[in-house]
Amino acid sequence: MPPPAEARQLDSPQLCFHCGEHIPANLELRVAIDGEPRAMCCQGCCAVASLIAGSGLESFYRQRTNYNERPASDAPSNLEQYEVYDDPALAATFSTTDDQGRVEASLLLGGISCAACTWLIEHSLARCPGVSRALVNLQQSRLDIAFDPEQMPLSRIFAHIDDLGYRPRPYHTNAARQQSQQQYRTDLRRLAVAGLGMMQVGMFAIALHAGEIQGMEASYQALLRWVSLPVAGFVVFYSARSFFSSAWRHLQRGALVMDLPVSLAIGMAFAASVWATFTGTGQVYFDSVVMFTFLLLLARFLERRSQQRHLFTWSDAQSSLPCAATVRRSEQWVTVPRMQLQPQDTILIKAGESIPVDARILQGSSEVKEAAFNGEHLPRPVTTGDTIYAGTVNVDAALQALVLVDYKDSRLAALQRSVESAQMSKPRLTVLADRIASWFIAGILLVTVGTALVWWQIAPDEAFWIALSVLVISCPCALALATPAALTNAANALRSSGVIVRTENALESLSGCTHLLFDKTGTLTEGALTIAEVRPLGDMQPDTLLAIGAALQRFSTHPVASAFSAIEAATGCEQVKYCVGAGLEGRYDGQLYRMGSQQFCRELAADFPETPDSSLYWIGVCRQNVPLAWIGLNDVERQEAPDVVNTVRNMGLKVELLTGDSSDQGPLLARKLGIETVTTNQTPQQKMAHVKELQQAGAAVAMVGDGLNDAPVLGLADASFAVSGATDLARSQADFVIVGGNLGNIIETLNKARQCRRVVRQNLVWALGYNVCAIPLAALGFVPPWAAAIGMSLSSLLVVGNSMRLNRRTSWQASTY
Amino acid sequence: MASLYILIPVALVFCVIAIKLLLWAISSGQYEDLDKEAWRILADEEDPVEPDSDAKDNPATSESDKQ
Repeated sequence: MPPPAEARQLDSPQLCFHCGEHIPANLELRVAIDGEPRAMCCQGCCAVASLIAGSGLESFYRQRTNYNERPASDAPSNLEQYEVYDDPALAATFSTTDDQGRVEASLLLGGISCAACTWLIEHSLARCPGVSRALVNLQQSRLDIAFDPEQMPLSRIFAHIDDLGYRPRPYHTNAARQQSQQQYRTDLRRLAVAGLGMMQVGMFAIALHAGEIQGMEASYQALLRWVSLPVAGFVVFYSARSFFSSAWRHLQRGALVMDLPVSLAIGMAFAASVWATFTGTGQVYFDSVVMFTFLLLLARFLERRSQQRHLFTWSDAQSSLPCAATVRRSEQWVTVPRMQLQPQDTILIKAGESIPVDARILQGSSEVKEAAFNGEHLPRPVTTGDTIYAGTVNVDAALQALVLVDYKDSRLAALQRSVESAQMSKPRLTVLADRIASWFIAGILLVTVGTALVWWQIAPDEAFWIALSVLVISCPCALALATPAALTNAANALRSSGVIVRTENALESLSGCTHLLFDKTGTLTEGALTIAEVRPLGDMQPDTLLAIGAALQRFSTHPVASAFSAIEAATGCEQVKYCVGAGLEGRYDGQLYRMGSQQFCRELAADFPETPDSSLYWIGVCRQNVPLAWIGLNDVERQEAPDVVNTVRNMGLKVELLTGDSSDQGPLLARKLGIETVTTNQTPQQKMAHVKELQQAGAAVAMVGDGLNDAPVLGLADASFAVSGATDLARSQADFVIVGGNLGNIIETLNKARQCRRVVRQNLVWALGYNVCAIPLAALGFVPPWAAAIGMSLSSLLVVGNSMRLNRRTSWQASTY
Repeated sequence: MASLYILIPVALVFCVIAIKLLLWAISSGQYEDLDKEAWRILADEEDPVEPDSDAKDNPATSESDKQ
């Protein structure tokens, strides 16, 4: 994370001050922060920003280095959904109570984008009564909190974090997490030992090199060699062990990887130095061995750390399910943890709740929002006898339903399984450096043996040392560093512009992609309905009409209502009633208004005209028997989408649209953006089949998506992006996660990936070129061992320096907007 | 120059102590969160409200602290 001094300016006037999304046209939402009115993109951001500003924690905005995540919902958090955590049995799974009644709990937080977030959460919680300690671990996105449950129940802590715009979940320690933490500590220990060892051995090495130039008594030279030996030995056996074991593991499977020449170089150079120390002849290379180990470990540590940070934040499909459910037990509704649900239980799902398990409706009718599954905006109407699926949201009214299957047999679990199978069939790219490694090893061994044999004939005394200098000079330091150094630097630069690189080699795969596939809903579009057109049928002014409409919609939780949330509602609406699956009605100025489907309006105004066309989603408004207007809604594309699609095409990639939506919206949007290939009405399995087909035809496919239904295909694609607001499952499968709300980050990542490929190639060319030039010289006996050591270090430094160029940020937004 | 025979081993002893200390610090979890600490030490602390358990036990203070 760059220090605050380097923090970029996060206050572009066109972007939401809180989350960095584009602000929809005609929207005027402002929150005063540090005395300045700042534009917001939605009610959700507005609520969070007001809370932060209102509690005097405004300096958060000056300190942060990344935009926040856009809050999932517009509404303030509902405390009820978290009340289940007050149940002692459930709370005990992630908390402990000490003898004074104080509870210590661990929560996993979603949406932490930078270190300032941890500051905000800690300070905000510290002010709550009853909280005695709150500490956020940024690396693991984990909150450890100690509090007095009498003053502050656990549910209120959850709700408080939710209000700040983060997504809290219980943190359960599991084997994988523990193992990852162990691994992290082991890596750090190895790195620390190598670092300290490098300083110590380096000090002795300077004395040795100086002694060689100025002349030095043999006894002192022997002393310096003898003290270097144990330090370097410790580093080789402790820190460099991971290279030896990895090389051996791969060798057993018949794979030649970069770790093999690395191990050979470290092992041989160390062995030769030990020999030289014991016999008092030749040259020692302890400093080179230790420095090489340190640099390689450092590059790997940085790489692994940025990947592990998000390993467990986005876990699996289950995280989208509620943790508790209301179930009927002995004639009473009781709340139980979701895990205790069994087939044949009767459950109650209130309006606005997520459905915990696949079930059949026994009583009630409502609509369920399945956007995350199929990309359709409008909820599906359901009634008695219909099946509803885990992970979808009940929109309108309470439902009683019969649990059909366990979680593991649900549709959501099936999706999770196809994600896992997709991961297995993801094309694995053999890293360029590893491909080079195999013939490189053969090359050096041949040359070394050849040199030794030839010199054996000419001068048997020198044969050993000359063969050794060939081996040392061919040490693949620069070669081994070429790829990790470039990848780490590129990932670092991307992180500071809001893209998280999650998987190894993702950048290398992306640079070779030929196709870029977009999902529609929520990826190219905003993912929420907005008002596109008002078509008056009577004499009423559109403004008045919308104000009355907004007043009615305030009483609804239907996705349509969110289109009206930014419009100032008319006051004086009374007796508003919500009719499931039809619309809203209410009295304004003493007259009855209706808003909803054509059929619903015709019940009052019999001559209500036909729906204009199918390009938009239309809702009618009438006053008693007078038709007033059609209001057309649609899901508008993100503001930057046309530019992004164009730029991608100009970069030589084929762009396709792949959506689960079956309506006309897909082809319409594609035509607008100039995308030629559109495939609509796709199930997750069909999406996967489509990508597989492309891959078999020789294409390398990159995919951009957000929903649960995109997760398998994101796992399968050669490189994949999850956009802001994506479901956890999609993020867990994507190679790149875009944190800020700008699609332009895709271009930036593409550019960076190509730049990274260029730098890797330059590095490899340099490293190989150096070896090709130096090995013959060494074989002819022209290179004294100390020159070999210095040349080796310099060539590594050059590779590292070249890779550092990737750290410069090239902002796509800055150049285009 | 003969002092080298003592000084260098002494330096090695210090090196061993430093490694021991560092390994202990890593094992005790002090390096779990490198990003946050790196940021925190440079951040301006304008808001000295610290979680102080004594103050929290006093309802008067906690009320005034409340947002």
